[in-house]
Amino acid sequence: MEEIVRKLNAEYGFNLSEEEIKLIAQQAEEAHRLFRPLYEVDLTDVMPMMKVDRRKGKE
Amino acid sequence: MKSLDLAELTISEASAQIRRKKLSPVELITLFLERVKELNPILNAYVTPTAEQAHADAKAAEREIRRGKYRGPLHGIPFSIKDNLATKGVRTTAGSKILSEWVPDYDATVVERLKQAGAIILGKTNMHEWASGGTTINPYYGTTYNPWDLKRIPGGSSGGSAAAVAASLCLGSIGTDNAGSVRNPASFCGTVGLKATYGRVSRFGDVPGTGGFSTDHFGIFTKTVRDCALVLRALAGHDPRDPLSSEEKVPDYSRSVGKKVKGLKIGVLRGYIEENVSGEVKRTFEEAVRLLQSLGLKKEDVSIPHMDLIPAVQTATSRVENASSLVNHLRARPRDFSPALLYRHIQSLTIPATTYVTAQRVRRIICREFDEALERVHLILTPTTPIPAPTIEECQRGYLEVDVKRVALQGLSGSFGTTCTIPFNVTGLPAISVCCGFSSLGLPIGLQIVGGAFQEGMVFQVAHAYEQATKWYERKPQLPQA
Repeated sequence: MEEIVRKLNAEYGFNLSEEEIKLIAQQAEEAHRLFRPLYEVDLTDVMPMMKVDRRKGKE
Repeated sequence: MKSLDLAELTISEASAQIRRKKLSPVELITLFLERVKELNPILNAYVTPTAEQAHADAKAAEREIRRGKYRGPLHGIPFSIKDNLATKGVRTTAGSKILSEWVPDYDATVVERLKQAGAIILGKTNMHEWASGGTTINPYYGTTYNPWDLKRIPGGSSGGSAAAVAASLCLGSIGTDNAGSVRNPASFCGTVGLKATYGRVSRFGDVPGTGGFSTDHFGIFTKTVRDCALVLRALAGHDPRDPLSSEEKVPDYSRSVGKKVKGLKIGVLRGYIEENVSGEVKRTFEEAVRLLQSLGLKKEDVSIPHMDLIPAVQTATSRVENASSLVNHLRARPRDFSPALLYRHIQSLTIPATTYVTAQRVRRIICREFDEALERVHLILTPTTPIPAPTIEECQRGYLEVDVKRVALQGLSGSFGTTCTIPFNVTGLPAISVCCGFSSLGLPIGLQIVGGAFQEGMVFQVAHAYEQATKWYERKPQLPQA
């Protein structure tokens, strides 16, 4: 995760200190642990909740 | 009318007098502006009062009403607007340093609709920085204080709006609710706070980066449920500028207020919420449920099989959607976010697209489970917040003791204060908070009533019946003199 944060730091120009990079990486790893159970759900045939808000075209 | 009476006044009462020409909008607005001048230095509810414009608008309203052009129940009524809703010609900061000088050249649709209904805007209210937290301890615009106890937070992120309504610095306010940001401060300040069904109210004019595209809602603060029904009628309806706003017809919600509730079924939501709620809130909530049963409502328990995944879905969804709105600011002025918020946004940039889409798939399952539950019961009930308002000191420390357990106020899965509210940001269901009693320290406690999609009428029906049976809304905070 530290590597990802370093890449973002360079790409966005955050100018983070080493200490900040380590802290953000550690917090991000914890957040990713929160998401892990999402991948354990049986999602066969489950479409994402997304609305494609097209209007009816000209006839 | 004496200044003291303002604390008791509601929109319904004021509008009845304005309609009969017994109360002048100019007189009313002048009294409110005097009260704002007197109490805002104590509460810091408003960040940008707009007294001059409010006076001019009140005069215009008065002229119109005298000529017989009465626009309806919001004509001449004083409102405030959270500072992340665009207001034409009035600074709109979103509680941020980056937008401290931004003056939009357009109104959010809700502001436009309020103005069309003849409401008078008294100013913009304080909020948590970028609406990204629940305290309204703002590093740039100061802390808003809870009118019930000045040592405590008003909640957030719409803390200024809730404090303004609770302290009668206006009669209604508009806020936003991405995780509970209307219902949480409504609960902490003892007001009514509604987040309608997703799409019911246009979100055009929301400052980008103050909520997820699919989790954020505009919401309403009032003193009573009847008032809230009046305001929703004026704001709701399709808006071509918000493609996700609904074309569902807008009913006259006032007709639901006062309807009999006997025979309706309420479901008490079980699951992780129960584990987080303090003993005092739990007892007060159970008392509220018993009261509703005594009015003839039938109670059963409701369980949602994937309930435990709601914090993960909410976090993945709202953080990714929010970060996508903030990319330019993050590149250009990263150090103009407070450090904790900057770190959170950087974390959001590390969330993979697959996690976001997986969260949307799990979200569909959760929505389906709630819809199934709402086929068995008409409404779902929870406490609005797990605890009454914490102190400013506790929030700055970052943790508090709840029934001898130490609880972090801001975890990675969101704020502790949003435990009970986020299920309805994930599902988009309409949810209202009404006061259901007071803690041993005299702090308001909120009851959350949730309906099926576009069933705001039934939510109002039961919330009003509860409110009238208990009259908690008649209790007012004792405010110090300036």
